[in-house]
Amino acid sequence: MSLYFVTILTNMTLISFIAISAYLILIVGEVSFGQQAFFGIGAYITATLTTLLGLDIVIALFFSFMVSASFALVLSVLTIRLSGFYFAVASLSFAELFRLSLYKIEYTVETNSGTVGPNGPEGFQNIRWIFENNVSPDNFLVIAVSSLLALIILLIFMENSKLFKNARLVGKDQIVAQSIGIRPFFYRVGFITLAGGVAGFGGGLFALFNTYIEPSMFGIMLGVHGLAYSIIGGLGYPLGPLIGVFIDIGLLESVRFLSEYRMILFGGLVAAILIIFPEGIISPRLISRIKRKLVKKTNA
Amino acid sequence: MLKIKNIGKNFGGVKAVDDLSFNVDKGEIVGLIGPNGSGKSTTINLICGVFPVDFGNISVNEQNISSLPTHERVASGISRTFQNIRLFKDLSVWQNIWVALQQDSDQSSGWMREWFGNSKLQKEKIKEILVFSGLGDRFDDLAGNLSFGEQRRLELARAIASKPKLILLDEPAAGMNSDEVADLRQRILDLKKLGLTVLLVEHVMELVMNVVDRIVVLNFGKKIAEGSPENIQNNKDVQKAYLGGA
Repeated sequence: MSLYFVTILTNMTLISFIAISAYLILIVGEVSFGQQAFFGIGAYITATLTTLLGLDIVIALFFSFMVSASFALVLSVLTIRLSGFYFAVASLSFAELFRLSLYKIEYTVETNSGTVGPNGPEGFQNIRWIFENNVSPDNFLVIAVSSLLALIILLIFMENSKLFKNARLVGKDQIVAQSIGIRPFFYRVGFITLAGGVAGFGGGLFALFNTYIEPSMFGIMLGVHGLAYSIIGGLGYPLGPLIGVFIDIGLLESVRFLSEYRMILFGGLVAAILIIFPEGIISPRLISRIKRKLVKKTNA
Repeated sequence: MLKIKNIGKNFGGVKAVDDLSFNVDKGEIVGLIGPNGSGKSTTINLICGVFPVDFGNISVNEQNISSLPTHERVASGISRTFQNIRLFKDLSVWQNIWVALQQDSDQSSGWMREWFGNSKLQKEKIKEILVFSGLGDRFDDLAGNLSFGEQRRLELARAIASKPKLILLDEPAAGMNSDEVADLRQRILDLKKLGLTVLLVEHVMELVMNVVDRIVVLNFGKKIAEGSPENIQNNKDVQKAYLGGA
């Protein structure tokens, strides 16, 4: 595979983590404009742990997951009484707060591979893990894709569990969910936390791949894209967000020959998809229709 | 069974429910009536915990539930239907029952399995509840495709599926024709036969007068009368509240 192709695929894989984290929050019925912050937290944590402390990538990514999830936990508990627009705005404010604080965090150390550590607006440079460990772009793609696949398979297995079913019910109608004995806040807090962790994990991979991160990378457009991918892909099944990513980045890259006109084309395409599939491509309705067909078949 | 003692709820300056007390005994059907805006639905919402009481006490089987969140009240044996039908319309009829059945935690399989494993299908149980509710032939249909009367029945079936001791019915006959009301009346009597206790909030007097054992009348959030259907029909205060004037 050409380097160009590998890079595109890796970027698609990494942004899928944000799309999935947006998806996890959407299924409990909330909209978050702040997932880019958890992606950023994960990126900075992995960068710090691998360069300053020289920790293994597995441990670094684990901490990226845990720390981002903890921030998400705090955010979800603080916003427990907010929903709809109010939650969306709260998540955005949190993300901006995080991004702007990054400009003020400066802690650098000189090492033989250059200056490392968060350095305010200059960003975090020389994240040389892939060079030091001789990881080729192809190998990194394998690492990223296999983590993503593991996550997707886990989510697909969980789709039939009481945990995920109840979460979807809370997303559909919180009042009814409560009235049949479901504890809505548990699912809200749980899924927002999990979503934070997933975004953080993806952010960690992003830092390693990019070898350089700076605060402006974690602006609102990153979160909006993640959100858009899961909405285009649909909330019916964990593959939805991936389809959204594929349609966006995949198509965007494949029509590069159209140069400056391709963004116009792309905007129209997204609008057209949402007109034809108002609930996304793999909508919950589609999934329940397929499931009913399968059940009928086994009954017959 | 259900004891309501001096409860009150203010919305801003409006006393929606004001110092209300009444009891519902086990196995009884009690009607809660009153003109529009008299606080009937607020009372139901207070009993379910949709919002907390400002003062007073609600207890079920001697257990004080006034400060419990809704889902714990369901666990203590209260379930309800809604004034505006609320179903999971994109799920099928049996799935609507299943989701309620599932909430009953299954101790035998361990929590890992219960929460993360594939949830088990309790098909026999679902079928039994649907047949009891007169929806036996609608098993596989989408809840959103049912007729209005059937959707009401499905809501009632879902309320039964949570294994309640007390069912709160919030205007179940709203928008029904007289055949459907007669059917509903029979279904409420069937609930009584199962040993359930029913609190019925209703405007349709044709239903209330023919099904309940006792009636509580509210006006402006206060109880103005309580007694058998006959007594209530002849009560001067009640006539005044409904018709106005002397």
